[in-house]
Amino acid sequence: MALKFVRAAVTVAGLTLATGATASECIAPANPGGGWDFTCRQVGKSLQDLGLIDSTMQVVNLAGGGGGVAYAEVVNKRMEEDELIVAASAATATRLAQGAYPGNTMDEVRWLATIGADYGVVAVAADSAVQTLPELLDQIKSDPTSVSVAGGSAVGGWDHLKVLIAANAYGIDDVRSVKYIAFDGGGEAVTQLLAGSVQAFTGDISEAKGFVDSGDIRVVAILSPERLGGDFADFPTAKEQGVDVIGANWRGFYAPGGMSDEAYDGWVAKIAELYASDTWKEVMANNGLAPLDLQGADFEAFVADSVAQIQQISKEIGIIK
Amino acid sequence: MSDRIFGAVGLLIAIVYAWATLQIEESFLSDAVGPKTFPLGIAVILGLASIAIALKPDSEPEWPSLGRLAEILAAVVVMVLYAEFLPVVGFLIATAFATTYLTWRLDTPPLQAVLIGTLTSGGIYVVFKLILGLSLASGPFGF
Amino acid sequence: MDIFTNLADGFATALTFQNLALALLGTFLGTMMGALPGLGPANGVAILIPLAFTLGLGATPSLILLTSVYYGAMYGGRISSILLNIPGDEPAMMTCLDGHPMALKGRAGEALSLSGVASFVGAFLATWGLILLAPQLVKFALLFGPAEYFALFALAFATLGGVSSTNQAKSAFAAMLGLGLAVIGVDTQTGVPRLTFGEVHLYDGLDFLVAIVGLFALSEVFIFLEHRHGSADAGKSAATKIGRITPSWSMLKATTPTMLRSSALGFIAGVLPGAGASLGSFISYSFEKRLKDRDGTFGKGDPRGVAAPEAGNNAAAGGALVPMLALGVPGSGTTAVLLAVLLSLNITPGPLLFQNNADVVWGLIAALFIANFMLLAMNIPMVGLFTRLLMVPPRILMPIVAMVSFVGIYGISGSSFDLLVMIGFGVMGWVLRKLDVPLVPIILGTLLGNTMENNMRRAVTIANGDYGTLVGSPLAISLWAVAIIGFVLPLFVGRLVKARMHARRDTESSTSD
Repeated sequence: MALKFVRAAVTVAGLTLATGATASECIAPANPGGGWDFTCRQVGKSLQDLGLIDSTMQVVNLAGGGGGVAYAEVVNKRMEEDELIVAASAATATRLAQGAYPGNTMDEVRWLATIGADYGVVAVAADSAVQTLPELLDQIKSDPTSVSVAGGSAVGGWDHLKVLIAANAYGIDDVRSVKYIAFDGGGEAVTQLLAGSVQAFTGDISEAKGFVDSGDIRVVAILSPERLGGDFADFPTAKEQGVDVIGANWRGFYAPGGMSDEAYDGWVAKIAELYASDTWKEVMANNGLAPLDLQGADFEAFVADSVAQIQQISKEIGIIK
Repeated sequence: MSDRIFGAVGLLIAIVYAWATLQIEESFLSDAVGPKTFPLGIAVILGLASIAIALKPDSEPEWPSLGRLAEILAAVVVMVLYAEFLPVVGFLIATAFATTYLTWRLDTPPLQAVLIGTLTSGGIYVVFKLILGLSLASGPFGF
Repeated sequence: MDIFTNLADGFATALTFQNLALALLGTFLGTMMGALPGLGPANGVAILIPLAFTLGLGATPSLILLTSVYYGAMYGGRISSILLNIPGDEPAMMTCLDGHPMALKGRAGEALSLSGVASFVGAFLATWGLILLAPQLVKFALLFGPAEYFALFALAFATLGGVSSTNQAKSAFAAMLGLGLAVIGVDTQTGVPRLTFGEVHLYDGLDFLVAIVGLFALSEVFIFLEHRHGSADAGKSAATKIGRITPSWSMLKATTPTMLRSSALGFIAGVLPGAGASLGSFISYSFEKRLKDRDGTFGKGDPRGVAAPEAGNNAAAGGALVPMLALGVPGSGTTAVLLAVLLSLNITPGPLLFQNNADVVWGLIAALFIANFMLLAMNIPMVGLFTRLLMVPPRILMPIVAMVSFVGIYGISGSSFDLLVMIGFGVMGWVLRKLDVPLVPIILGTLLGNTMENNMRRAVTIANGDYGTLVGSPLAISLWAVAIIGFVLPLFVGRLVKARMHARRDTESSTSD
């Protein structure tokens, strides 16, 4: 038994050593297993598979403050590094907009590129009488206490904001009256929809897909600019139902603010090449990621826009002053 | 006597806890219960339990002598220094020092303690960094 | 039978040389990580994900490797609980209560092998439960809305008094301390920070791993420093006697009903998302103690107190796979990580998984059986090896334990702040142990606090502020009834037992099996 252990240990150690000569590093601002961790690992692996980086990208988990600890670490201590990227998503922008990273703002780092987006959906249980988004919003309008909407993010988080933006666009004046119940993740929220505890679900398309396929829930609206392809073609957009809302949970990276232009352009080019590759198309298809192709200056502008938009909505509904 | 002091401290903690709870700034967007109800309930039960402890104390525990207490305090200081210096000097050096100190204070001859400290530090490095692939603090020399 | 054809296909997938080697590697690494304080099953699985990717494994082999790690870690946690009185991971916390006293009595070998067998029974039955009952269990889990979850957690706390020390007020104090610590961080219901004092590190709340390692492992180090036990190898002379390393048949026979009961309870706790293995082992232990502790031997090295939590937590580990596979809802931290792996392997867990990816599911189930048998085969002979650990003099062992704790925490969070919090917990643990305050309720409180509060608030918010909803369904009412009985009954029975113990204390020396 002991001999076997030694052999196993040596095998593993060998593997780690062989791939362990690291040049680049990716910070996942959460514990292993979450979305950001996954972004780092999946991109790191694909970059290496494609030969865009020479050695394995080292993934470092720096959890805390919903990404705030990592953000502060990069801004305060690692501003000048060229071989460092950090995973980010719409949640990062939301928190920055709401001032949830105390003392930090979005222009302290350089935004690199996106690797795809997860569009928001609004869904009801299959046996619900509600068929369309306007029907649901009408119900909320006439009696807000009768509809509980479940989502996987905290109050004021992205899943919540999506519903509020939709309600706002539909002409519900006091969006604060919309009853939102926060659960620990989209899966738990869908389960409570099935259990009948709540009447509607707001989340990302990837969270809802399995339950749509099985016929347990019905998507009343997808918050994308136009209908998606493939399996998702049946979902009506909010826009075509007269509610002008787009909600995309993008995934991407930022880099230290002091990164040299040369290194910054290098990373942007690498991620752009990754995004264009067939390997990545497959990863996106597997994970329910929809296309969102923004790099360099375009991405910087996009983040700035969404921060401004979230700030405005958050002020309107009173989450921030 | 210890339990009476413990109960009093517990009551103080409960009061401070309740006070800190009341300082929570509620947002405009609250749920039906609010963020304060649950912690206030905790503070109340915490206070009641503390009063019960103070009123019905158990038999006196055996407290260490002042010397031993200083020993523990010194260990805490070393551990705090370890936590602070870990990212600065790197894992191997910091761990070797901290282990050597603890081993020495547990009555190991100094030379042997240094040896054990070095071996422990190296051993943990092999298991955690090389076998399990965790990222440990790397310090100025890369280890 | 459909099931058996499927299962046979599953075994055909799983029984290749490569897969068996992966299962062996996974179970070994898992056991090791489970035994190291600070690294639990969740981190263990997460740490090995890159290995699965680096090796370029397909879906089934990856899952075999990672679930072997999962089951292995559930086995491994008990080792340090029994030998060092330091739980290797949070579900193994309950195993300390009777496992370590057994070791102190020179029965470490028996405790280890008995707990190995109990782990096997729990995991084995849970895997069958997963096969036979998964569809029905999903319906059962759907009966639990926020109000029912709140009642379930209240039940866990109501039975606390029976588990730990004699002084009920101190148990209550500890539980509230744990719940109070869980409140720290950004409130998930309204997004406001609570009790963080503007410290960004506290926004995500305190990690219960930090709490458990500090409270148990570091406080143990302080206790050694206090007594300067280091040189005195004789100080723990009883512990260095290992005793026999296999449990006697009579002991196995005596604990069989315990294992069966605990497996069932643990499995149910595992199936409910959010409850998880810790609740499984906790409920198993407290239920067993309620039911069988006639002579007050629990907590003093009763073999049934070792068998119950181990069967319970391993059964819960199997149970937690039910909601993960069938609903895509992780029932515990570990299954959350496994879920991420499944997604990255292009497998969408959910109601259609059993139809769309039947080969993967049955291969996984076969792998669970294989890993389980492997763990039993590996753990029993290695008991002798593990117990050698006790031969290492504490003056060397304790600093190593302290350092491993530090590294375990730092390696995962990469934060010095967490280390400082851990030291704080260590000092607190030392003081509380001196004052005879039980530590288990603190951990239970930090583990369950957030879920408990959130479910209460969700329920009341859904009902538009009506607290009556908390007792609004037959299931909720029955859970409350059990909780109240569990709280009130021991107040009377406890007195009875104490009286009886007084009567026989002089005449009887305790032999517990």
